[in-house]
Amino acid sequence: MVEEKKKRQNKVKDIAFRVVRASVTAILLYVLYLLVSSLLTPVFDFVPWLAETIEVFVTVYIVLMILGDLTRGTIFQQFFNVARSLFLIGYLIVSMGDGVIRTSYESFSLTINLTMFYTFTVVLSLIGLARAILQAISYMSERAELASGFQQPQM
Amino acid sequence: MKEGTAMNVPIRVLGIATVILWVFLAAYVGVAAYSFKDLDFGAGEPQFSASPDGTLLLTVPLYINNNGVCNLKDLNITTKFSDADGSEISTSSSYMPVVPHGQNATIFHNVSLNINDMLNNQDYLFEDKNLPASLTAGLTFAELLPVEISTNLTYPWGAPFYGFTIGQPSSSHVNSTHGGIVVPVSFENHAAFAVVGNLRVELCGSDDSVLGAAQAVFEVPPQTGYDDSLEFIVPLDAALATAVQGGHFNVYFSTILFDYGPLVIPYG
Repeated sequence: MVEEKKKRQNKVKDIAFRVVRASVTAILLYVLYLLVSSLLTPVFDFVPWLAETIEVFVTVYIVLMILGDLTRGTIFQQFFNVARSLFLIGYLIVSMGDGVIRTSYESFSLTINLTMFYTFTVVLSLIGLARAILQAISYMSERAELASGFQQPQM
Repeated sequence: MKEGTAMNVPIRVLGIATVILWVFLAAYVGVAAYSFKDLDFGAGEPQFSASPDGTLLLTVPLYINNNGVCNLKDLNITTKFSDADGSEISTSSSYMPVVPHGQNATIFHNVSLNINDMLNNQDYLFEDKNLPASLTAGLTFAELLPVEISTNLTYPWGAPFYGFTIGQPSSSHVNSTHGGIVVPVSFENHAAFAVVGNLRVELCGSDDSVLGAAQAVFEVPPQTGYDDSLEFIVPLDAALATAVQGGHFNVYFSTILFDYGPLVIPYG
């Protein structure tokens, strides 16, 4: 009876910890977004749609991150991690196209070639996706090991 | 060693590496944006000079204050001038390999216009026009970001012989065999350069025969007018024919920059 109560208390603590952790991470990420977006204000003057798309991206990314944190230790965390990585790659492909931004401001037309930046971010996103998939594989193999009771000898 | 534990190491390493690289990328974007804010561009008063081969050189000083923390590289400025038909009459480029951070630089962008190329259309001599021009400026910002800005402008071209007119001939008696024909000549120099040269005018009869010729030397600074008279000494019968039948003037312009003529102006 006492052990069951302890278990329930631990579960509540665990859930509370996850919520706090997810909230803190989300707040930190949002603060980072606010800092970077304030630095990018002069760029937003030339490319107004960029601010809107970045905001949508940050919102979806933070939601997926919170969901991943809340479902920590379950298979859903792996799903959300992979989804987050895929969303990042998809967003980059859709928003940046060929990596060249063309925009007009009054009578001026501005072209910014972000190919190098784009390549770098896509490579990082792919590494993130690879990591998420590895995590999912690791999680599944751990589960399989636990289920079969198989354990390799300690090295 | 557990299978899961063995995989955790590369996963963790990948995670740390990814986080470090993302932080580096975010810092790069932040620094680049912050530097962009501290860039300042300006242009000075254009200076005109002319060379005897008919080339007008327009020099525009461009000031770049790079107060940011990133270098500007491969700064390239190109201007293209076209005539009213869209045919290109001039292309000029200026290049500066690097403007280091925290430093100011001045580029003298030289635009050369060959006035002889423009004389295919005589309107440039006698009418003020707007020359279509395109300006393209490109640079590599923060080492990795090539940026290009372009715009279309119109450059106000001032005609060197704006409103050139030859008035109606009036007769004056010179002697028993010859008469004098006086014609007023006027124009305004709207160009950015002084027009120096001479004007030769042929007085032609209705049958295209040249009855007489006169010439005048002029030196007209920019934004000033020229107003003078030319006198033709012609035989009396020719003077009479001029007054009665009319004809035309053939006008030849000869300046240190270009020669043009004949400009045919009918009278009578």
